Amino acid sequence: MNAFDLIQRAGRSLGNAKVRTVLTSLAIGVGAFTLTATLAAGNGIRDYTDRLISNNFDPAELIVGRDAEIENNGAPNSSPKEYDESVSSLTVGGDGSSLQVKQVTSEDVEELKKYDFVEQVRPNYQVQARYVTTPGNDKRYTLTLQAYNPGQKPELEAGKLPERGDIKNGTLLLPMSYVQLLGFKNAADAIGKEVSIATAQPFTEEALQEYFMNLQMGTMSGEESATPEPTEQLTTYKVAAVTKQGAASLSFAGLPIMLSNEDTGALYDFTTEGTQNHGKYVYVYVRVKGGEDEQKALDAKAELKEDGYYVQTSQDIQKTITQFVDVLQILVGVFGVITVVASVFGIINTMYISVLERTREIGLMKALGMRGRDVAWLFRIEAAWIGFLGGVIGAGIAYGVGTALNPWLTETLGLGEGNSILIFDFGQIAILILSLILVAIIAGWFPARKAAKLDPIEALRTE
Amino acid sequence: MITLRGINKTYGKKKQRFQALKDIDLEIPDGASVAIVGKSGSGKSTLMHVMSGLDRPQSGEVVVDGQDILKLKAKAVDRFRSEKMGFIFQAFFVQGNESSFHNVSLPLEIAKVSRGKRKKMILEALERVEMTDKAQERARNLSGGQKQRLAIARAIVAKPSILFADEPTGNLDSTTGEHIEELLFDLNKQQGVTLVIVTHDRDLASRCDIRVNIKDGAIQSIETPKRPKAKGGKS
Repeated sequence: MNAFDLIQRAGRSLGNAKVRTVLTSLAIGVGAFTLTATLAAGNGIRDYTDRLISNNFDPAELIVGRDAEIENNGAPNSSPKEYDESVSSLTVGGDGSSLQVKQVTSEDVEELKKYDFVEQVRPNYQVQARYVTTPGNDKRYTLTLQAYNPGQKPELEAGKLPERGDIKNGTLLLPMSYVQLLGFKNAADAIGKEVSIATAQPFTEEALQEYFMNLQMGTMSGEESATPEPTEQLTTYKVAAVTKQGAASLSFAGLPIMLSNEDTGALYDFTTEGTQNHGKYVYVYVRVKGGEDEQKALDAKAELKEDGYYVQTSQDIQKTITQFVDVLQILVGVFGVITVVASVFGIINTMYISVLERTREIGLMKALGMRGRDVAWLFRIEAAWIGFLGGVIGAGIAYGVGTALNPWLTETLGLGEGNSILIFDFGQIAILILSLILVAIIAGWFPARKAAKLDPIEALRTE
Repeated sequence: MITLRGINKTYGKKKQRFQALKDIDLEIPDGASVAIVGKSGSGKSTLMHVMSGLDRPQSGEVVVDGQDILKLKAKAVDRFRSEKMGFIFQAFFVQGNESSFHNVSLPLEIAKVSRGKRKKMILEALERVEMTDKAQERARNLSGGQKQRLAIARAIVAKPSILFADEPTGNLDSTTGEHIEELLFDLNKQQGVTLVIVTHDRDLASRCDIRVNIKDGAIQSIETPKRPKAKGGKS
């Protein structure tokens, strides 16, 4: 018998036991559903992280630090380390727990600039600004400050960014959320207007000493002593552009107000003057010449590591996120595979019943000269049909439900427009269905062999 | 021409040993109609199975058209059966879930006849048994006589030279049975198909050219009621 005739006959005989076939297929369909959904979620999350990385990290930029934690992917393992001047305490987490981090010093920054492959070194200034306001306005709002990175342009609502390089000193990028608060009519209206940022210098040791001295003297003389006022500075900038939250922005705290590097540096120096953090940075951004080429970035990383720096490339960050996704996907995938394995027993059972039911038919076919091998394939193909049906049912439902729920899921997870958490890859689904067909054929192997070995004379005995 | 020489067939071992066929010698000329007659358990079905290559005797020769089929490999015997032999059974053994058309198609598919040629052959065979109008009907919905006619169509569709019929009228009422008999003898007379019928129906047997009486696995007598055509056998 040729394959096509076998496939047709197998299909027809399945059609005659519809309920049994569908139920057996459903078992394998559950596995197909799980696996299809898992694959789609994996694709979606990977696609999302890819966008996240490319929108938020400049591939040419390396994150360079002096502390091994830099490579620890945000999972700080604050083990005791040798003290030196560059170690300082960094507050992490809402519980006020602190992390001792060995910082990058200004001398390190100068050293880094000397490497051939370094195009630019940009310290990661962590400026504690007090508030933002407009001249002549008594309303004050909190803010986060960040230096503008030419390698990762934010999405704009209004205004323009320079083609290359930093924004002009004395200008800033204002997030859309501040436009109304600061009393501008709309984004376009805000362009060119003035915005002031207040920063404060902490008490210097001298100021504190003076205060305590005064306090002591005051109690002795019975006079009220003046509490020292922190030195506050109000700097005014012009709005160069209004930014908006991108579809794949990694900022959980809302968009920062961005200043030029120099301006940010100036504020950082002002706010850290006299403290142990002055001239020290947790990490710096090192822009590698031609670093969009992954190999160049990796070469630069290797060289910096040799000199005692700790380096993270954007690939490293991506790896951290995808690693997590992979583990999750494998976990769910294992459940899918277990379901498929369980359904294999269903197929074996169904196939044995089918062979038993059709003993005479098998006897007849063999009496008519059908080869045992063809008889076996007739049953294996029947099993393959079950696998195919299960795969199509499972993948189809997963696709249907997934497509229907995708907008809702994406919105619930807050991924932003243009992203989807489930991405169905038809190539993957085809491979999945083919694998399920293969699994079903293997499941049908022994029942089929039993059919092939049936003695036609025995099978045709009427009694 | 089918020639059997010195056929011995035993089942079981040692104490359970049972000799189903004893020293069978038989010659069936082409185009003859032969009835193998005997009580149940006499070995008549086993004899048919041996002649058709379904069963292998312990000793002897089965020569069909000059070829000793016992010397062929299983694969060749299967092909031999699918090309040269047709089978009709007492219990019909039609595939109830398949249409008449697909029932008749089965031997052609087994013999690997191309799809293009098949349709014509199937319709011819169905027409021969007057079942053309039932071509798309599922076999399970047919009456007993229609089922046996369908089985005959299936047996003759590949144009075999030998037709084996095991109690073809055993499950049918006498009128329907007679109709089936007519059909079988017509095929025998008009198309020269060798007809081998296993039966214990005396009337049916008497219509055959040769009657082989079998008892306890041995041939008791060979009668040629109409005109002598067969030789050999033990008497």
